[in-house]
Amino acid sequence: MTAAIRIDDVVKRYGRHEVLAGVTLDVARGARIGLIGPAASGKSVILKLVCGLETPDRGRIEVLGENIIDRSEVSLGDLRKRIGMLFQNYALFDFLSVAENVAFPLEQRGGLAADEVAARVADRLRAVGLVGSEHKLTGELSGGMKKRVGIARATVADAELVIYDEPTAGLDPVTTQKIYDLLAADQQRTGATVLAVSSDVVALARFVDEIAFLYRGHIIYRGPATSIADAPDPVVRQFVRGELTGPMDDLPAEEAS
Amino acid sequence: MNQARGAVANIGAGALRVAEEVGGIVILTGQVLRALIPPRIDTRELWKNLYKMGNKSVPIVVLTAFFAGGLMTLQTGPFVKKFGATAIAGWAAGYAVLREIGPILIALMFSGRVGANNTAELSTMTVTEQLDGLRALAIDPVRFLVVPRVIAMMVMLVALTVIGDLVSLAGASITARAMLDIEWSTMYHSFADNLKPFDFLHGIYKSIAFGAAIAMSSCYFGVTVRGGAVGVGRAVNAAVVAAAVSIMLLDFFLTYLTG
Repeated sequence: MTAAIRIDDVVKRYGRHEVLAGVTLDVARGARIGLIGPAASGKSVILKLVCGLETPDRGRIEVLGENIIDRSEVSLGDLRKRIGMLFQNYALFDFLSVAENVAFPLEQRGGLAADEVAARVADRLRAVGLVGSEHKLTGELSGGMKKRVGIARATVADAELVIYDEPTAGLDPVTTQKIYDLLAADQQRTGATVLAVSSDVVALARFVDEIAFLYRGHIIYRGPATSIADAPDPVVRQFVRGELTGPMDDLPAEEAS
Repeated sequence: MNQARGAVANIGAGALRVAEEVGGIVILTGQVLRALIPPRIDTRELWKNLYKMGNKSVPIVVLTAFFAGGLMTLQTGPFVKKFGATAIAGWAAGYAVLREIGPILIALMFSGRVGANNTAELSTMTVTEQLDGLRALAIDPVRFLVVPRVIAMMVMLVALTVIGDLVSLAGASITARAMLDIEWSTMYHSFADNLKPFDFLHGIYKSIAFGAAIAMSSCYFGVTVRGGAVGVGRAVNAAVVAAAVSIMLLDFFLTYLTG
């Protein structure tokens, strides 16, 4: 089976700071994989690289069978229409209402009648528990509601690859579980490939098949989600268990001292 | 010695920054022109911006233009009366207002109100990842957000300048009648006999150039902002300063080249 995502030896620097120092990651079509790691380790950068929103300084990235390096914005357009993305900070359009935000990907793709678009938007908003908020502007919503609008927008077009950046941040545990159940049901219905970043490792592990751990610019571990807490790598174990002492030390020397 | 070296380094860094910004504005202008071929403009965004940038600016432009016209009459009136040359009172005020004062004042007002607001909006969208959100949905932010704003700003600044010209001539006439006791008919004939269509057009083509400068600088600083809320403030500040400097430079060279 061909890979939906193939990241090969990717390096990404911001100024002199090397965020990714040679990341390699393959994700099979239809797989659900979670990406975890300490704050500012480059997880969101990987998601943006996969969507072609950032360009690596070195390495190769293939998404849904297409190379995305050195491609113009226009030529990436058709590929991006096959990808759904939830941003960490929602990236909702504040000039549109909730319903218009969710309808936006469908309207831009075209090919659907207005009543079909409206039906799919209503279905999505019902699924994420936002019935009655259709006409609100995004500025009137709480953080959790914005996140759910973002999820509705990312999933409304039944994309082949769905990327979630912190899909349940700011949500209570019950809503978190409902959202993951919804995402799982969607994925089973569409067969989409899922790449998700989350700090809530426990909830993420119930949703994805595999988890990869990003640390100091490298994927240092990849294994089944169910056994992540017992990973052989002590850094991964310390992170997942939230232990204060261990081999993981992200603080610069002067801060640590 | 070190202070001198530091001063030179600061001047060099400033020059590099300005060169980078001018280059960025030129590149964005190229992207806007390319996005117009073929012309696929989001009409909803265009109409929304035409209304927001044009209609809502009318009151402030009318106020500014009225007093600009009146001010020109107040400045020139005593002299034309002293020399008994009331027949040129309207020409003196109208010439200055149509060619220079009107377009410049309205452009600066437009930059402060519309340009600053545009930069604040775009930069807020940038720092909240809305531009990345558009790109992720295969929508070119330049085509979708920047092009309608550039067109709206250029069209509306010209429209506001035309309105401003008419209001300023009315302001000049009312001031002449109320404060200098110059007859309506004297002012009317002074306008009609002495002002030429080119005096009006001179201000209009300047306003087209000013509109382009305000639009491109406000959009550029909006889409290239870095650094959250503080960055938004810096971007608005930089856009207003860049627009004001551009307006003055363009005015000087356009006047020099076209008379």
